[in-house]
This record gives sequence, structure tokens and C-alpha cells, in this order.
Amino acid sequence: MNETLLFLIPLLPLCCALLNMLVGMRLPRLFAETVAVSGVATAFVLTLLFWDYASGAGTRATLFTWLASGDLEIAFALHFDRLAAPMTLMVTGVATLIHLYAVGYMHGEQDYARFFGLLNLFVFAMLTIILADNLLVLFLGWEGVGLCSYGLIGFWYRKLDNARAGTKAFLVTRVGDVFLGIALLWLFALTGSLSIGVINAAAADLAPAVLLGLTLLLLLGACGKSAQLPLMTWLADAMAGPTPVSALIHAATMVTAGVYLLCRLFPLVSLSAAGMAVITAVGALTALYAATCALAQREIKRVLAYSTMSQVGFMFMAVGAGSVAGAMFHLLTHAFFKALLFMAAGCVIHLAGEENDLFRMGGLYRRGPVELFWIFLIGAVCLAGVPLTSGFFSKDAILLAVFTHPDPVYRLFWGIGVLTALLTALYTFRLVYLIFAGEPRGQGAPHPVSLAMRWPLWPLAGLALLGGGLNLPALVGGGERLHHWLGDLGGRTIAAAHSTELRLIALATALVLAGWAIAHWRYRRFAPPTEAALVQFLLHGWQADRLVDRLLVRPFTATAHFCSTGCDRGLFDGTLAGLASLAQRTGALLRRLATGRVSTSLSAFAWGLLVIAGWLLLQLASRGGHG
Amino acid sequence: MATALFYILGFTLLAATLLCITRRNPVHAVIYLVAGFFALALMFYLLGAPLVAAWQVIVYAGAIMVLFLFIIMMFGLTPQESLAGTGVQRWLPLALLSASILFCTLLLIAQDPAATTTGDATFYLAPRDFGTALFGRYALAVQVVSFQLLFAAVGAFYLGRRPDREESS
Amino acid sequence: MIVPFGHLLMFAASLFVLGLCCTLLRREIIMILIGVEIMLNAAALTLVGGAAYWQQSDGQVFVILLMAITAAEVAVALALVVYLKQRKGTLVADAFDRMSG
Repeated sequence: MNETLLFLIPLLPLCCALLNMLVGMRLPRLFAETVAVSGVATAFVLTLLFWDYASGAGTRATLFTWLASGDLEIAFALHFDRLAAPMTLMVTGVATLIHLYAVGYMHGEQDYARFFGLLNLFVFAMLTIILADNLLVLFLGWEGVGLCSYGLIGFWYRKLDNARAGTKAFLVTRVGDVFLGIALLWLFALTGSLSIGVINAAAADLAPAVLLGLTLLLLLGACGKSAQLPLMTWLADAMAGPTPVSALIHAATMVTAGVYLLCRLFPLVSLSAAGMAVITAVGALTALYAATCALAQREIKRVLAYSTMSQVGFMFMAVGAGSVAGAMFHLLTHAFFKALLFMAAGCVIHLAGEENDLFRMGGLYRRGPVELFWIFLIGAVCLAGVPLTSGFFSKDAILLAVFTHPDPVYRLFWGIGVLTALLTALYTFRLVYLIFAGEPRGQGAPHPVSLAMRWPLWPLAGLALLGGGLNLPALVGGGERLHHWLGDLGGRTIAAAHSTELRLIALATALVLAGWAIAHWRYRRFAPPTEAALVQFLLHGWQADRLVDRLLVRPFTATAHFCSTGCDRGLFDGTLAGLASLAQRTGALLRRLATGRVSTSLSAFAWGLLVIAGWLLLQLASRGGHG
Repeated sequence: MATALFYILGFTLLAATLLCITRRNPVHAVIYLVAGFFALALMFYLLGAPLVAAWQVIVYAGAIMVLFLFIIMMFGLTPQESLAGTGVQRWLPLALLSASILFCTLLLIAQDPAATTTGDATFYLAPRDFGTALFGRYALAVQVVSFQLLFAAVGAFYLGRRPDREESS
Repeated sequence: MIVPFGHLLMFAASLFVLGLCCTLLRREIIMILIGVEIMLNAAALTLVGGAAYWQQSDGQVFVILLMAITAAEVAVALALVVYLKQRKGTLVADAFDRMSG
């Protein structure tokens, strides 16, 4: 096959998106849905067909020269390599299942063409990020996913809160994008190229301070997209979007784009030890922060959103600890089980009668189909890291990588990670108990859950349970297949004594058990919610929104207010109005001179004559004086 | 002899003009003005310009001033206002202004070194030479001025048509 | 020339200022026009004097042209006087102030 055909992978979703956006509403509903699903599914199949192209150094495909100006020459090129291939496969696969789920979920929705158009466009943009050969094409996809995220969070824009949530997500991620843009320009200034390969090769020649600055800029860009500290406030609000959107964009794919970016530029990032420590610190702190917030949330989707932030924080820790393979492993397994959890949560919300509040659910084990409980439980045990599930292996690999890092400060991060793992188990089982245990507490009439919403969950559940097989550690007889597949792209090889690994596994198991025990003790029987200050503090995400409001929004508003009323209206408009009224008053004065009478004009002539005669006299006098 | 005559004619001209501009009755004013123009025509003759003097009498005093008289008599203009009748506040500043202009001009003339010379005393431009100059070097100007007269005639005809005819058409 | 040039110019200037006074101080259009005629004649006197002083014919030719133009001006001006008299019934110049600002 021709390697240019690689372009079919991102272009098929784009074509389907355009088709749906342009004529989707005129087509029969079934046709529009089929177009949307088949576009993504075909991309999935193509990825499988092209799999061999990824081995070795990968395959580059150039479609055309996008920009050419002086030294800058940007080709619209793709690079399908060992890092991009599994990511592409995951995105197209998960997206296909979520599209199928969305067909059932959006069944009663009138505006289906816009929804599927944006969803397909998102898949295109995400694939552009993954496959981009140079940073400008990557940036194109980067902005594209932001745009689609904005459009889909505010999908039900008639409710003002939803539209506001979309705007917030767009603006907060834009802050990160600015830093990424600066990093791009700086890289171009340093290396004269935006090609990822060239930049990674040239990185070794750069000064340490420059590398640190670049790493921090890239980290800030990644933080915006991946909802890490300090740009994390948008993700919880982004849950205002439809549940398939939350599953696809805000759990499986877009929020992991930041991790992917750091993995892509890992040869550059890894050169700065301080930068790596900062990445790990950001990841660890975000993981802990989000886990504590998740403990107190009342809305089911917000719990999952905070857990997503927490898990992405783990991925950042893995990158910071030098283990790209660990980050990618957790990225893939997390995509499976978190998408599963979100979709199951969508079913749960349906069953509870469009009820989001955990405290008004309960008793769904007896009320709904039993399979839903099992599916949700599979997702939950993966998230909590119950041994032998995929989440267990991937999280363990990350903790091991952080633990074995030679720098002693990483032990502190490891401690935070362990604490977070305990909290993760706790809030996960709290979620399960609040939803399924006890008696029904809500009044909503249950909606039936259609078949289309149920059966895409099963493949995901299987992947979530068995996803650990992708990178089984040698300790349990696995081949570390992902690590071997990534090869030199996989970062540091983790070498640890088996006894250390065993001890860590035992610790993780103990943590999960402890978390489950606490949750069982506290939430087996529903207790009315308390209004304690700590609960409120955590419920509002450590008051991060208020902090941003105090620190940024209010000073900005005050400055804008000053510029508007003080400078613009007071100074500029005032000056202009003053000049205008001055001209008007002068005109009114001069107007009196124009009497329209002949006599006035004549006397003006006479005065002019006098002036001329007087001036001539003066000339004469001065000449006489000189002569 | 001719010099003395020139000064007499000059002061006659100024006196006639002064009388002209102070008359309340426009008919009287025009008559005094015609008298002044006769004096001016004689001055032109003394300055060696016989043809211009003739034109001054024929065209100015004979045609233009008669036209003024026609208009004045056509409307039967009665004396409506006089110089004395207008307020002091109105005419005093203007009179002072005119006086200053005159003063400045006279001073300028007196200061000029050429003012005391007389030039050649025997200049006389015969009508033949005058005609040669007018239709030789200034032929184009004559054409332009004749067009000007034609336009003026058309304009005057247009302005002077009766308004009721305009309304009836 | 029979008199000093300066004396001639002084006569012309005095005549001009008299005409100026007439236009400035009188209110009827007829008298304003007469003032204009006086000023034009002052100019004619200067031109003829200049011709005599410099022994050139040009000054006299200009007086002829000046007369022709004056005739044209008087024709139009008097036609306007007739027109305004028919329209407004007055010849006081200050009554025509439609150009007032």
C-alpha cells in the first residue's frame, strides 16, 4: 500500500464531519448516524491495516507543503511510528464504541447532525495531534480539539450554565495554548525547524537553562489541555456536556493529549532534570488535589471528572519519572476504564431518572439490570487498582518508576502517589456504594436503557479488565510488550529488584483493601450528607474557582473597567468631546461674523486693505532703517 | 499752464466726487459724478491720452451713467436715507478706517523716490498707435472682453425678464 | 509728464478712498455701485498716469479694457437691481441677508 494512504485515517472522520455538518439535517437520521459511526470505524480498521508501517523508524507521509516562507517550510505531513500507532488505535477504537453508545444516548435529541459532526471533527483533530510530523500540524489539531470541546460542552447551549462551562473550558485551555505557542516559536528560533524529529535531535545541543524554559512552557501547554494544576478548573465544569462527550473528550482522549505531547517531545524534555522534577511535582500534586476533591463531590460525573484529573496526574508523574512506556500504558488502560465508567454513569443517570446527585440515587443494584452493576464494578475496580486489573498494573508501573528514580526528591512524590492511590480506592468504592447499595433515595422514574447504550460497554469492559496484558511486568510472567514495542521511544528502563516490586505490590493491594474497608464502613448504609466546612471546601475543588476569580478575573475586570470608564470614556472621549465642543463654540462665534450682508463683507475688504497698506508701510520703514 | 490746469481739474474731480457721495438724492449724486468724470476726461487728455478721454466721455459719462439714471428714474427712487441719518456708531468707525487707509496710502506714495520725478513731459499717444497696440498685441484680450460683454448681455436679459411670464409658462 | 507722478497717485488714492467711503457708508445698492464706479475710475487714472510716466501704450489699452468690463459689470449689476427690486420691493443692501450663517 502507498504510505500516502495514511492520510485516510484522519481524513475519513473529517469528511464524515463535513458531510454531517453541511447536509446532516437533510439526511435521514439513521443515515447521519451511520456516516458518523462508519467514518470512525473505518479509521480504526485502517489503523489495523497500516500497523506494520509503524515498526522500525515509522513511516512519514507528506500530503503537500502547507506553508513556505523564507526558512520556514511546513509540510502537511504525518508520522506513523511506534508511539503514534497504539494511541491511534486506542482513539479510533474507543471513539467507535463511544459513537455507537452516542447513537443510543442521543436518541431523543433533535440536533443530532451538529452533535455527530462535532464528534467526528473532534476525532479528526485528535488524530491530527497524534499523527502530526511537525509541531505546527500538531498545533492545528491541538486547537481543533479545543474548539470541538467548546462546541460539545456547550452542546445544550440554551441553558446558560452549559454555555458558560464551554466558554470557561475554551478560555482556560487557551491560556495553556498561549504557552505552547510561545514554545513553538522559541523552538523554531532555536532550531530553525518545527519538525518533531529535527527538534528532538537538536535538543542535545541546547543550553540547560533554555531546555528548562522550553520544558516549563511545554508543561504549561500540556497542563491546559490535560487539566493539571494550575489550569485545572475547567474540567469539572466541562461535565455539563452530553455523557458520550465526557467519555470521549474529557476522559479518554483530549485530556491525555498533554501527556502525549510530553511523550512526543520526551527526548527534549528528558534532558532537563529540573524540568522533569517539575513535571512529576505537577502530576503528583494534581493527583492528590483531584483525589481529595473527588471524595466530596455529589454529582456522579464530577466525581469521575476529578478522578480523570487525578489519573492524568499519574501519567504526568510517569513522564516526569522518565517512563514514557508507563505513561502510555496508563493512558491506554485509563482510556478504557474511564470511558467505560462514564458510559456506565450515563446509563446510571438514565436509570435514576435523569438524576445526577449521588445522594438521591442508591438501590440501583436491585432496580436496574444486573449487568449494569457488573459493568460499573469492572470500571471501578480498574480505577481503584484492584490487583490483576489493568489499572492495577499501570498504576503500579508508575509508582515503581517514581520509586526507583535515583533523585531522592522523587520519594516524596512517591509518597503522594501512594496516598492518592488510597484516596482513589476510597472515592471509587464510595461511588459504587452510593449508587448501588441500600434503598432508592430518588423520586425520578427510571428511563429504560436501550440496547445501543448497553452493548458497546462489554468490549470496553473486557479491555479494561484485560488491558493489563498490554504491558504485563516480568514479575508475573508478562513480556512487557508495550515497553518492547516502544523500544527507544519508551524512555528509561525500570530496573528494580523483585523483592522491591513485590513489596510495592503488597503495599498497593493493602491500600486498595484499606480504601474499600473505609468505604464499606462509611457508605454501606447511607448517612445524610454533612455540611462540614472541609466537605464544602473539597466540594468546591479547594475553592480554586474563587481563587482564580480573586487573583485574575477581578483585577482584570477592574483594569478593564478603569480602561473603559477612566481612560476611554473619561480621557479619550472627554478630550474628543472637549475638542468638538471647542470647535462648535468657535464656529458659533465665527458664525456671528457671517451676517450675510454686503456691508459686512465690504468692511472686511476695507480692513484687509488697511492691513496690506500697514504691512507695506512697515516694510518701507524697516528698509529705510537698514538703508 | 497745463500743470496748473491739471491741479485745478484734480481738485474739481475730488470735490465733485465728495458732493456725489454725500447726496441723499441719487439723481443728484449721478449728476455730480458725471461732472467729476468730465474733469477726469480732461485729465486723461492732459496726460497724453486723447482717445481714452473721448471714451471716458462717451462710454462712462454718456452710456454707463445714463444707464444708472434710467434705473433710478425707472423706480422713481425717492431719497430714503442720508449720510447724516445713519448712526454715528455705524459710520464713524468706517470713516476712521477709510481715513487710515488714505493716510497710509499717501504716506507710501510720499515715501517713494519715484514720486517726485515727472518723466518725459511730451508723451502723446496718437489714436493710430493706440489702435495698433490694442488690436495688435492685445487682440486676444479684446476677444475675451467682447465675450465678457456678450455674457453680460445674456445675463442681464435673463435677470430682467418679467417674473409673471416665468409663472405662466 | 506735466506733474510729478506722486501727485497724480495721490489724486488717484484720494479718489479711491472716496469711492470706498461711498460703498462702506451708503446703504442703497445704487450708491454702492456708484462707489464701485468711482474706485474703478481711480484705477483708470493710475493706469493712464503710468502710461504717461513710462511712455508706454499698455496702460491706456488697459483702461479701454477696463471700461468694457465695467460696462459688462454695470449691465449685470443693474439687471440684478431690477430683479431685487421686483422681488423684495427695497434696494437697501442689508435687507438681502439670506447668506446669514
